[in-house]
Amino acid sequence: MTDSPTEVPSGPAAATVVVTGASGWLGQNLVRALAGRERIRCLVPSDDQASPLALIAPAIEVVVGDVRDPATVDRLFEGVGAEAAVFHAAAVIHPTRSTREFFDVNVGGTQNVLDRARRSGAGRFVHVSSNSPFGVNASPDEVFTEDSPYDPYLGYGRSKYEAEQLVQQADDRGDLPTVTVRAPWFYGPYQPARQSQFFRTIRRGRFPLIGDGTQRRSMAYTDNLVQGLLRAEVADKAPGNAYWVADARPYELREILATVRQALEAEGLPTSGPERLSLPRAAARLAERLDTLAQSRGRYVQPLHVLGELNHTIACDISRARAELGYEPTVELEEGMRASIRWCLDHGDQL
Amino acid sequence: MADLATDVLVVGSGAGGAITAAALARAGRTVTVVEEGPWVPADAMEPFSLEEMVAKYRHRGPAGALGNPAIAYVEGRCVGGSTEINSGLYHRLPEYLAAEWRSTYAIEEFSPEALGGYADRVEAELSVAPLPGAPPPSSAALERGATKLGWRNVDFARVFSYDAQGRGTKQTMSRTMIPRAVASGATVIPECRVVRLLRRGDRIVGARCRRTHPGGGVERLTIKAEHVFVCGGAIHSPALLQRSGIWRNIGNGLKMHPTIKIAARFPHPVDHGDVPTHRITEFSPFVAIGGSISRKGDVALALADTGAPFADALADWENISVYYAAIRSDGSGRVAALRGVRSPLVTYSLSEGDMSRLARGLVHLGELLLAAGATELHPSVAGGTIVRRPEELGSWWDQVTRARATIMTVHLTSSVRMGENRARTGADSFGRVWGYSNLRVNDASLIPDAPGVNPQAAIMALATRNCDHFLAGS
Repeated sequence: MTDSPTEVPSGPAAATVVVTGASGWLGQNLVRALAGRERIRCLVPSDDQASPLALIAPAIEVVVGDVRDPATVDRLFEGVGAEAAVFHAAAVIHPTRSTREFFDVNVGGTQNVLDRARRSGAGRFVHVSSNSPFGVNASPDEVFTEDSPYDPYLGYGRSKYEAEQLVQQADDRGDLPTVTVRAPWFYGPYQPARQSQFFRTIRRGRFPLIGDGTQRRSMAYTDNLVQGLLRAEVADKAPGNAYWVADARPYELREILATVRQALEAEGLPTSGPERLSLPRAAARLAERLDTLAQSRGRYVQPLHVLGELNHTIACDISRARAELGYEPTVELEEGMRASIRWCLDHGDQL
Repeated sequence: MADLATDVLVVGSGAGGAITAAALARAGRTVTVVEEGPWVPADAMEPFSLEEMVAKYRHRGPAGALGNPAIAYVEGRCVGGSTEINSGLYHRLPEYLAAEWRSTYAIEEFSPEALGGYADRVEAELSVAPLPGAPPPSSAALERGATKLGWRNVDFARVFSYDAQGRGTKQTMSRTMIPRAVASGATVIPECRVVRLLRRGDRIVGARCRRTHPGGGVERLTIKAEHVFVCGGAIHSPALLQRSGIWRNIGNGLKMHPTIKIAARFPHPVDHGDVPTHRITEFSPFVAIGGSISRKGDVALALADTGAPFADALADWENISVYYAAIRSDGSGRVAALRGVRSPLVTYSLSEGDMSRLARGLVHLGELLLAAGATELHPSVAGGTIVRRPEELGSWWDQVTRARATIMTVHLTSSVRMGENRARTGADSFGRVWGYSNLRVNDASLIPDAPGVNPQAAIMALATRNCDHFLAGS
């Protein structure tokens, strides 16, 4: 094991980068890490997200529009020049209208960005994917590797699976080197409101723990994930491949809850209620069935989806990213959760 | 009541039935083909004309699959089946799909090499050729747009033969395999509908038919047979089995290639007598893009879909051609025969992913046509934006909804899937219907999923393979 990410053969980082989903949770972390580049072209979905992003660095140029719209993505790539690095982080995880948004944005948007990246002569396309194309682990001690078979989990999983296939096909064409980075559940600064809700429910002892809580989850602290994306941009071996990028090891769900409570206490936020609110596995199975039924009718009910997934182990092995990207996670769960909590407090969120 | 007896009864005379009849007649078997539709002389009608539609299409035109949205589909109903009315495009089954199906459905003798060998035989038997010379304007537009955008495209071969002047004749079954079957001794009975198959234990002993005579009289006819091959296509093969009391895994899992269209106006005249042979493969297998038949009536129908006034465009119809985007659908449908009703109930359910792929296909197709120089795009979407500039294409995403999109399809498959995985199939790896020793299906119904390309090449190769297997075993 090594702390030195430069040990794998790598090329130079691109002077010009294009980032989609730049105002999202991951995007805001990524753009900050890219702030030193000569030119940072960012796509955001609405005007109100443009100006905060533009303040990060003078090299940032913000394009506002819909990633599904070919003309918008034309504007995103206008004048970008060859050899840019493209980070495609725009995606819908929790749709607000119907499950069709998963496919419109995650598949249709990916195709548009791939197409323009190729036509502009981009040097590398780094695609942010997910664990969802792989479903859930068959047993609590299994971990996904890069050789695990696809088994998409519901609408989001199917859309990200289809997107991965488009990315792979683009690489197969031979004129756009692509890398897919598969991130599990992530945490860290610039989080959306739903994540503050996550801290609030844990603080009050209301977050449900399904069964005995020994099911495991891989998580990715945003700085770790950003490092993985930046390594994917430069590592010689990366093109044409997909990598799992997460914290050093998967955590048991009960450990995650206990650690978050410790982190809250350590940041001066006393916790209340029971250490854990245990729910029988049957409740999660019921939620999963209802979620499946709702999604088959195009409806997405976030609490059902989250509860249904909590029953499962979703864990991955990051060995290949370590070996081929030179990725080495630097932040562990408690430190990362404390940083997230501090960010919430700094931004006036009541936890 | 008349009675006939035959060794092999083939029900249907399209790509599956005609290949079956010729293969078995050549092997010396006594073959009788019954076809519900008429036997229309090969040169009697202009290809793709309205007159042809009335004569050769089931229901004299499109039929609807129920669902939300309803999907219109067309089928041939004449000697030669849908090969008489299709575009004749010929595309071998993609190898990776064959590999996927082989494992999912446990299909024996389904390796790329084995299938390739049968495709070779089909191609040697029929004339499969690319269009000679320069492509006509409607097809050239596809190539030009794709080249400009850097999208992969293919000028597909067709089941056509071309004379020295480059005039093509589609090698339909009524021009090829049907006459060859007859030359080898097969009997073809047109206008003869099989009402039901007659079962005795695990055997089919014959078929009860209704035959319409040229004068209009209808007679009941019972045909005794040692072996029955049902080749009525993905709607009517399962419906006949169901009418005969055979239901297990029959009629469910229907697949199709849902299709959305654009009528594109160019600043120059385009051709209208034939179907463009170029196809965009850049988005395969999810979305395929190509051209449709664009006679004046087709152009008028396509222009009417938005609901906006189109008299001005129609007056310019010679500059307009119709194009489509077809998707591989992860939805599915079913065929159900209803007691006392002649036509089965066909339903199909598009998934949210399908609706999204249709919207994506429409937007890609729009980009392509604008790049090819089209000046006005009329989508098959009620209230859809008539697009003249690339900046307007994005509006289609939210306009393609179940309520507003006009969806149609050809390429119906998968309603009697084949394979050894009995939980998922209605017939074994060679089309023998589970539970019956002498009953086979040999048509598009067997193809276990939508192939993403025109299925006629796959149907013909499979039918040839299954006949070999039958002849080797009996």
